[in-house]
Amino acid sequence: MRPVLLAGHERALTQIRYNLDGDLIFSTAKDQHICAWYAHNGERLGTYHGHVGAIWTVDVDPTSTMIASGSADNTMRLWDVKTGKNLKTWEFPTAVKRVEFNEDGTKLLGVTEKRMGYLSNIVVVDINPDVNAEQSDEKILTIVCDESKATVAGWSYLSKFIIAGHEDGSVSQYDAKNGDLLYNVSVHELNTPVTDLQWSNDRTYFITASKDKTAKLITAKDLEVLKTYVSDTPLNSAAITPKKDFVILGGGQAAMDVTTTSARQGKFEARFYHKIFEDEIGRVRGHFGPLNTVAADPTGKGYASGGEDGYVRVHMFDKGYFDFMYEVERDRQNRL
Amino acid sequence: MATTTKRHDWADDEDVDEVSTDLPPPQTLTNKDGTKTIISYRYNDEGQKVKTTRRVRYITHTEKVNPRVAERKAWGKFGDSARDPAGPAPDTTTVGENIIFRPSVNWRKDQKEEDKDPNAQAMKDKLKDKKVKCRICNGEHFTARCPYKDTMAPADEAAAAAADLAGGMGDEPAAPAAGGVGAKKGSYVPPALRGDRAGTAAGERLGSKFGERDDLATLRVTNVSEMAEEQELRDMFERFGRVTRVFLAKDRETGLAKGFAFISFADREDAVKACNKMDGFGFKHLILRVEFAKKAA
Repeated sequence: MRPVLLAGHERALTQIRYNLDGDLIFSTAKDQHICAWYAHNGERLGTYHGHVGAIWTVDVDPTSTMIASGSADNTMRLWDVKTGKNLKTWEFPTAVKRVEFNEDGTKLLGVTEKRMGYLSNIVVVDINPDVNAEQSDEKILTIVCDESKATVAGWSYLSKFIIAGHEDGSVSQYDAKNGDLLYNVSVHELNTPVTDLQWSNDRTYFITASKDKTAKLITAKDLEVLKTYVSDTPLNSAAITPKKDFVILGGGQAAMDVTTTSARQGKFEARFYHKIFEDEIGRVRGHFGPLNTVAADPTGKGYASGGEDGYVRVHMFDKGYFDFMYEVERDRQNRL
Repeated sequence: MATTTKRHDWADDEDVDEVSTDLPPPQTLTNKDGTKTIISYRYNDEGQKVKTTRRVRYITHTEKVNPRVAERKAWGKFGDSARDPAGPAPDTTTVGENIIFRPSVNWRKDQKEEDKDPNAQAMKDKLKDKKVKCRICNGEHFTARCPYKDTMAPADEAAAAAADLAGGMGDEPAAPAAGGVGAKKGSYVPPALRGDRAGTAAGERLGSKFGERDDLATLRVTNVSEMAEEQELRDMFERFGRVTRVFLAKDRETGLAKGFAFISFADREDAVKACNKMDGFGFKHLILRVEFAKKAA
């Protein structure tokens, strides 16, 4: 496969998201704009300007009409995908580290940083799906994470729960209606932050990546750890691939240690694991810095990775990827 | 369902403004196999007329997409890309080098084996404190840099092999281990360990420089005149049989012969004959001394 390199950012990538149809890619970096790209050829559709700090996160609503972003300038913003217009700005006392729309695009959550005496909060706002409508200022729910700050969060199936990953390596489940803490389970090693949380297609389970060098597949309903993927490097991101039962992990040693080692030792590769058998089945090299974010195309045709090197690499899978099967999988297919 | 066809690519655009009137108009011919031949003319930087012939096959790639996706493809660009033409802009979008990605069950196992390969690791450890040793004079330099390399034959092969053993490559538990090294894919195997070396007789190792010279059919000729030429030597020795190689040592600066030469025969019988006949032969006011480059061992 020939990856397409997108050089729209001057600084380290922070998050990449595909839209639901898999034709657009949104990328954010520590420079102060969001880029939108066509996934099929890497053409840049446009950039979104307005933030005045590093942008940590981006998410797109299910109809691809609006995107939300969170930044170190203490704001969460809503944008019109088509024109790049800033539709709404919500102000917070600290930086916004994570945003995510719920399944039907009517609610948006934001995770704020713990800093300057403020605790980390998970804030929910209502979204009017109409682009031209006025968006409400009101925060319909605020969950205060007083034990350990939340680093990532997302909406489960039917917007029933809010799942959050914490700095201490635990994952909690909150009731999305009233914000009650239902469960808190330590899934990763103590005090290794959960760095990413991405959902399966139906949002019944999710994958977490952590600095403890493992990624875990966890159910949304009772936070049961289904699978553990062990790697040899701190992980920054993990994604579940549709169509094939794989997961993609991205990581690499911390950016500050990079100059002291060779690119090979830095382990700047996307790692593919079999989702069920937990075996590593291959790696894709290319970045010359740690991978900060990976995203799988919802149509299953490819994936994109963003690194500390400032590049987004969009990959379209070859036939060999789709043909790969375990012996038992092949047997089963032949019997059917 | 809406359909989209491949957009016109900027790379296909021709530089129209460079075509002046006295150039023949570009021609487009349609070939039988469905390709097109485009012949165009232009002037290059030095004012020379250049004819360019290109064969192009156009493939219309039709893709059925969701109508929402098709609508989005027609959107205008905005922000920093507002002034970009249609199609990927070369400053933001480039195509990377090809990456071969084939998922494999054994991926991790292969990698692990390589990491754990005891031979490779043992070799590394042993080579760590191994010093460079000249095969000719046993000094601490590469053989190629030996000051005596033109005047002395290499030290006895058997002795060298023994030195290698002492140096550490050879003290694997048994010969099959060496074979195992050769069989391991991907890891570097020094030439000396390639193939089943343990069972190989000296004569069977072809290709290596010394291997050939030490072949039993090589003569060392000394006391050769400064004026001698390789061809003269070849003519003289060709009388006894087929000569495969003549090496006459010459001074790099003056081009004069240094006084010794090596003659390799295809057949050892011929070499023996030549050795007997030519030893003591008068050649250009000097008496040649001919002996076997290496005593038959």
